[in-house]
Amino acid sequence: MLQSIVSYGLAVGAVYALIGITYNVMYSASRVFSFTAGMLGMLGGVLGALFIQRMGLNPVLGFVMVLACGAVLGVVTEILTVRPVLKSIEQHLYVLSTLAFALMIQQVTAIEWGTEAQPFPTLFPPAEGWLDQKFWLPLLACAVTIGGLEFLYRKTLIGRAFLAIAEDSYAARALGLPETWLRIASFALAGMIGTLAGFTGAQMLLAFFGNQSILNFYGFVPVALGGMGSNRGAVIGGLALGLFQQAANFLVGGIFAAVAVFAVFIVVLLLRPEGIAGASTARRV
Amino acid sequence: MLSDNNQVSQIGKEKTTMRIRRRQVLSGSAAGAVSLATGLAAPAIAANEPIKIGYLPALTGPSSSTGVGINRGVQLGIEAINKAGGVKGRQLELIVRDTQSDPTKAVNAVSELTQRQKVSMIFGPVNSGEALAATPLIARDKVPMLHPCWVDELIDVKKYPMAFRQAPTNTQIGGGANHYVVDVLKLKKVAVISDTTGYGTASVNTYVPMLKAKGADVVYTNHIDAANPDLKPEMLRMQSAGAQVIMPWSVNAGFLSRILNTRGAMGWDVPVVGQTTLGSGQTKALLEKPEYWNKVYSNNFRKCCYVNGKLEPKTQEYLDQLKAAKIEFADTLLWWVALGSDAANLMADIFKNAGSKPEDIVKYMNQVKDWPGVYGTVTWTPQQHNGFPDSEVVMCEVNSLKDGAFNLAPGYAS
Repeated sequence: MLQSIVSYGLAVGAVYALIGITYNVMYSASRVFSFTAGMLGMLGGVLGALFIQRMGLNPVLGFVMVLACGAVLGVVTEILTVRPVLKSIEQHLYVLSTLAFALMIQQVTAIEWGTEAQPFPTLFPPAEGWLDQKFWLPLLACAVTIGGLEFLYRKTLIGRAFLAIAEDSYAARALGLPETWLRIASFALAGMIGTLAGFTGAQMLLAFFGNQSILNFYGFVPVALGGMGSNRGAVIGGLALGLFQQAANFLVGGIFAAVAVFAVFIVVLLLRPEGIAGASTARRV
Repeated sequence: MLSDNNQVSQIGKEKTTMRIRRRQVLSGSAAGAVSLATGLAAPAIAANEPIKIGYLPALTGPSSSTGVGINRGVQLGIEAINKAGGVKGRQLELIVRDTQSDPTKAVNAVSELTQRQKVSMIFGPVNSGEALAATPLIARDKVPMLHPCWVDELIDVKKYPMAFRQAPTNTQIGGGANHYVVDVLKLKKVAVISDTTGYGTASVNTYVPMLKAKGADVVYTNHIDAANPDLKPEMLRMQSAGAQVIMPWSVNAGFLSRILNTRGAMGWDVPVVGQTTLGSGQTKALLEKPEYWNKVYSNNFRKCCYVNGKLEPKTQEYLDQLKAAKIEFADTLLWWVALGSDAANLMADIFKNAGSKPEDIVKYMNQVKDWPGVYGTVTWTPQQHNGFPDSEVVMCEVNSLKDGAFNLAPGYAS
């Protein structure tokens, strides 16, 4: 039982964490919560199965194409659903625009791909227990992503430019930083991370259009738990969510597992509204 | 319902190949339909204009694979009848409106068919969701209706006196599975589970009391989130409760395949008995090992099942005609196609005997007794418009698919 809780919990948690990071990367660049994160995750699985299983492409080429599609969708998201509403961000119109775009893509996927879950190709030789790709692949993807982002943000000039935009976009623009291009790049990066989450988790979650709403929802929980904009918090929150969810499956089961997860989520937010790793913000008086 | 259990959706392919297949079938002579029509090809009677049949299949959209399969049978049957001279010299004219798996589209189509096209009868919708929306409107416009949907509430002789069903009800489907578990397999300790959809929860709530009434001990019951990737906790609970058989009620292939994969990985050798999606191509495609499909039994229909490797002579003759016409069964099931052919032939028989006036049609349909279809036998009375006999609802071995049909599950007296 313990092995099942830990292996499934960490693997699912890693997928949630990656979706949480996707939210964060888009949020940092635009102050917009784009509800396209789940869509990207769903497409990671569907496009992976399409390219590798159905079209018979080499897995490496298929993987690269999935990430490329994610990047393109990220850019399209920025242009179509985020940029037009940035000027009136306080009205939160982005909720509608991003959600509408995500639902549109989901419907197209349902029509073209089908409404039934479909298998995702086995990329590595089948193995037992922890060595099965469905357990270690999402964890590896999560580790590589968080490591890569840390390197990008702390060691590279472009990464620092991203942080500058996230910190204060007006000041960054005054310094001559190309805010629009950096935002586009952030959304492209988020698109790649989102599809990576779906691709690596598809052995568990299957290539299924309905994964969008699940990932949108459960991917948001680590962001809220970990603190908005905090990637480390999202990883901790995601893994904790996965483990708790799986433990609840064993202990209470059925639909009560989901109830248990959200009960704890609400309690945590009541006790610490800024999230586990989020910083309290001072209010001007 | 003819539930939303998609097999393989190849709608585009279907559209491009249907015409060829129909011609092939016609040239190969669909003897069942022709033999019916031969008796009908009498000299033209008073009216020579075509008899209009409104037809509401779901040919596109997420629940369309069933409709696509049924449509093959309907089109083949109608064309064969017309080629042989029609009904008393009158051609049957199908006015097809694709519901696109959308109840709203079905409702709009009903208004057009009943009020503008003035059809004599409506066949369909073929999915329960659309039928639930369309049936009250068809009843309001007083047009006779024939459909193959399973939801019990779709037939009510008081509310819908002109609606008739040629297929089993959900209660019969569940009853067939319960009969197999309790009376044929002689298993008493049953785990009954479902996903959290309306269909799943309603099925469990209906079938569990039926099982208990048959003397079964329902040791475990639960509604499970179909998106949960790991069903091992649920399976362990069923196992520790002493379940000898699992009955999952869901049309979600992902959910069902996870049950079978987990059962296989646990090495738990209990039978799984349930709905037709257990035997669908989508469920098979999601299995981690082919042998995980062993000891899985899904609902099916006696006349379309192999018994000791053989179909009933009439069904075999029908299958031979389809095979001679090079009909592929890779993307459909025999009972879907046969159901469509039965509907066409049944309606032709009704028009032959009752003409095309609504009240005459209903009066005749109320007296149909043991009408011998390829898919099933139909009997209606003024008090009972559910026409399918319990005895023809059976279970089949899902890993025995051949030419669109399955072996009868083990244990039945043939």
